[in-house]
Amino acid sequence: MSTRVIRGIIGFTALGLVAATVVMGLFVTPPDAVQGNLARLLYVHPPVAWVAYLAYGVTSIASALYLWRPTRSRRWDQLAVASAEVGVVFTGLTLVTGSIWGRPAWGVWWTWDARLTTTAILFVLYLGYLALRRIPTSRETRARRSAIAALIAFIDVPIVHESVVWWRTLHQGATVASLGTNSKIHGIMAWTLLLGFVAFTFVYFWMTMLRFQVERLAEQVEDEEFKNWELERAAESEISSGAIATLLGDGIGDRDDTLIEHKVR
Amino acid sequence: MLEQAKIDELFSGGAELYRDARSVRRSRRSQRLRVWLPILVIVAALGFLIFKGLGNSLVYFHTVDEALAMKATIGTTTFRLEGVVEPHTVTDNRQGGVNFELLGQDGKTISIVDTANPPELFQPNLPVVLVGHFSGNRFLSDQIMVKHSATYIAAHPNRVASVGGKKL
Repeated sequence: MSTRVIRGIIGFTALGLVAATVVMGLFVTPPDAVQGNLARLLYVHPPVAWVAYLAYGVTSIASALYLWRPTRSRRWDQLAVASAEVGVVFTGLTLVTGSIWGRPAWGVWWTWDARLTTTAILFVLYLGYLALRRIPTSRETRARRSAIAALIAFIDVPIVHESVVWWRTLHQGATVASLGTNSKIHGIMAWTLLLGFVAFTFVYFWMTMLRFQVERLAEQVEDEEFKNWELERAAESEISSGAIATLLGDGIGDRDDTLIEHKVR
Repeated sequence: MLEQAKIDELFSGGAELYRDARSVRRSRRSQRLRVWLPILVIVAALGFLIFKGLGNSLVYFHTVDEALAMKATIGTTTFRLEGVVEPHTVTDNRQGGVNFELLGQDGKTISIVDTANPPELFQPNLPVVLVGHFSGNRFLSDQIMVKHSATYIAAHPNRVASVGGKKL
């Protein structure tokens, strides 16, 4: 089965699962006893945050595999950047959906508590990772440099996750500590939350596969352009040496040096 | 012998190359600026977040018990106070806010005078975080944030309907 077909299957599965989550979240699940219909954001906000963690986890593993000599390959670097970009999108979504939930629930769009602050730092760290990749340098240097940056940035992921345990926060603690043994969320709400996690994980895989392919194609185009440039340069230098040979043949070597210096000035 | 026109052409080509090299150097400089500028902005944003976050996040609020214990040292400084809204104590006040008693873990309470409009979820028995300061024995608050729990329970478990309208 080709990659394209697999990607298509994952894409359609993701679409179906997201649609199912929307139906379950909006029409089937009951409102929460305290939060009412606001609690329906539960089926989106924690899943997108989970996908951001997953994306940065994949970026870190791919970066480590790039840095380790026996497994070093351009593909790991391409996977790292593909996953990081998707991670940044989902971190942005986490901040936005959290803010939309926070305004009616807490009464504020934003507050400087540990969970929100460390998430914002995570977002900026990976934006920095993507900016670092734009510095013009050789492909190997860029890959090595950004792999190290990705591993450093990942330190913030467990800090974000544990922030509600380590510090006092306005943000609630974990609702789902471990799947299957959770008792803080009831019946169909728990199943819909689980569905949301699966749906957005499929969305992540689809987006990352697509972005990975784009990265590979972009590098192929870059290689082709470089080859063409080299060929053009070789052709130009052949023409130039031919012209110089003609000039020398015409007697430029006999010209007065002072005339040449004058012309250069 | 080489014709004058050919020599002129050769040297004008050299001057062109020199001009090209200068413009390449200039464009490289502006390209470097385009790359480094966003990185500088990101580093500045990161610094701001860490500074602002560390200052506010590590001790995000004081509990009722802590606030009462530190009342003399806190004075009229603005801080965040956390506790549970005691049932049957919430009344509207003239400032457009609410008065209520804030309950601590060991049963001690602080009288709250809030001047802001409370958020939608504000209700008795829920934990809240208030921003304000002490004024005598009362705590004057100008912001109420509701700290909801991580537990989710169906509002009306016996009245939940499936997509087809059947009761679950």
